[in-house]
Amino acid sequence: MNSLFSLITIAYRNIFRNLRRSIFCIIAIAVAVFFIVIMISFVNGMLRSYSYTLRTYEIGDILINSKDFENKKEFYPLQFAIETEEDLETIVKKIESIKGVKSVNLRITAIATLTNSNVKHAVIWGVDFEKEASTNFLNQKTKSNGLLKDSKIPDPNKNECLIGYRLAKKIGLNIGDKLQMKIVSSQYSDKFFMPKVVGMFDFDFLSYDNNYIIVPIDKLQKVANLQGQTQQIFVFLENPEDSSKIIKEIENIFNKEKTLIKEWKKNYWVTMLQQVNIIYSIIYIVFIIVASFLIVNTIIMVIHERIKEIGMMGALGMKRGEIVGLFFLEAVILSKIGSLIGIILGGIVTGILQNFPISVEQMTGGIELPISNTIYISFSFIYLIEAFFFGIVVSSICTIFPSLKSAFIEPVEALRR
Amino acid sequence: MKKRFIFLFLIVNLLIFSQDANTILKNIDNNQVYDSIKYEGEMIIYISGKKYVKTFKTLARGNKEFFTEFTNQDDLGTKYLKIEGTLYVYSEDLEDVMQITGHMLKESVMGSDLSYEDMTENNTLSAQYNAKIVEEITYDGKNVWVLELTAKTKNVSYPKRKLWVEKDIYLPLKEELYSLSGAALKENKIIKYEKIKGKNFPVQIETRDLLRKNSKTEFIMKNIDLDVKIPDSVFSLKNLKK
Repeated sequence: MNSLFSLITIAYRNIFRNLRRSIFCIIAIAVAVFFIVIMISFVNGMLRSYSYTLRTYEIGDILINSKDFENKKEFYPLQFAIETEEDLETIVKKIESIKGVKSVNLRITAIATLTNSNVKHAVIWGVDFEKEASTNFLNQKTKSNGLLKDSKIPDPNKNECLIGYRLAKKIGLNIGDKLQMKIVSSQYSDKFFMPKVVGMFDFDFLSYDNNYIIVPIDKLQKVANLQGQTQQIFVFLENPEDSSKIIKEIENIFNKEKTLIKEWKKNYWVTMLQQVNIIYSIIYIVFIIVASFLIVNTIIMVIHERIKEIGMMGALGMKRGEIVGLFFLEAVILSKIGSLIGIILGGIVTGILQNFPISVEQMTGGIELPISNTIYISFSFIYLIEAFFFGIVVSSICTIFPSLKSAFIEPVEALRR
Repeated sequence: MKKRFIFLFLIVNLLIFSQDANTILKNIDNNQVYDSIKYEGEMIIYISGKKYVKTFKTLARGNKEFFTEFTNQDDLGTKYLKIEGTLYVYSEDLEDVMQITGHMLKESVMGSDLSYEDMTENNTLSAQYNAKIVEEITYDGKNVWVLELTAKTKNVSYPKRKLWVEKDIYLPLKEELYSLSGAALKENKIIKYEKIKGKNFPVQIETRDLLRKNSKTEFIMKNIDLDVKIPDSVFSLKNLKK
């Protein structure tokens, strides 16, 4: 212990022997760690928005639909409703009674053909809008239901709808206008439909704002010949992490041969997000490795310069391991200081930037991605700690090998030089 | 001298009895032209291994006006009207009359292999196409001409067609419809025909949309009455909304 302390003290003093070189090494690590903090914060902000958007609109915490629907889900076919032995109301109550379930939302989605020559098709979304808005923030940016000024929720007893504000603009519709469309019902009937636009929504989600029309689910059930049936059931939980436990209770309610029940963790996009995290970790490691080249080069130079000194230390009884440890500790101290500076600066910058929205539309040129249009950098002390350890661990590993070089120097030969 | 006479005799017979393609086309049209028609129809749609049956009643006058009302449970109350070149639809869900125009005409009717364009297109083949005989073969045990039709103008649904026309009755037993690029889009086959008022009238036709997998549509006409008197009020928007 005493010898370790002594080595640390010697290593620390050695840093000041060539201060300029030491400062360059520290700056290199600091810059790399700083950028890693920014990247981790940005990526996590993006992934958080992505995950929330995916779960709110596409997959829920647990998603239930028929296997036939799953095979053709990109067409949103109305012909494959969920088959249940009991009536839908009873099923919903059973699911709602499971501990940990926050909300059970029924949804029907279909492709509608519009009569408008500018926009030929749109997606019609049959939901209980009030229930959806109380379950999740439909507009993540404003933390609201996304309804714009002068809009009201459609009455299920009337022929009314909401429309995405971007879609309305493309078609040239205002509140109060009628929207002509056709859908193909569950019995392959052409159902013509002309609801009145009673409101517009801005979900800050390009895909929905550009393409969606919302009608009360009761109305769409009637038009699509799906009375008492639904295409999909979205289950939202108090804690999404409990999905693995709760899904087992839900599976007992349905016919497993015909029904598909999936939890959000096993969704293709979510597992892809997890892979993305791994890829980003590799990118961080590469950043640090590149920054560590300066320290590695410094260690090699220092060993070469102090070869007589190494010989002297060996001759005075210092073991090879202690000599290697000395150079290694020098590198560790440099990377520690650099990482600390990096996370302090990175933390300050991300702390400020987290209040400024970033437009995904401007970044991507308007490509519709399953992510909110506005994302925020996510600040967390955990990210700072993560970046700090990335900085120390990776640069330390890089410097082991050049430090080992000093172990192979023979004292006699070193002193002779 | 004798040889010359025989030769001339053969030429005259050839001229009198040979058919050119456009004449064949006119004869096909004659079988399907009427002043008015009233019938009960059935459209059986086979798609993805399931069968959907739509029933309806139709009244039509020439090739310019028709009125159809669906009578099967799922489509009860849905009515279509074509007048003055425009197609209209009315249903209870709609609560009003809607015009079907533009790209909607290309949409499939009730998920079938027929489009609204197919249902409303009613100009004669001879008015729209130039024809040529490609070959004379036996098809399904019958002697047929195989005709290739090329559209005279650009605004037809199918710029090219191929017909297998039975010689005795001037009915196209099989028809293939092509795009301008030559891609095969649809195929029609006459399954059954009846003799009605001197015409060989197709009463059961099978259509396949070749761009769709596993689907076909059978169009069946029953209780056909040709050249009946139909009041003008039938072909009106007021009647559509009733």
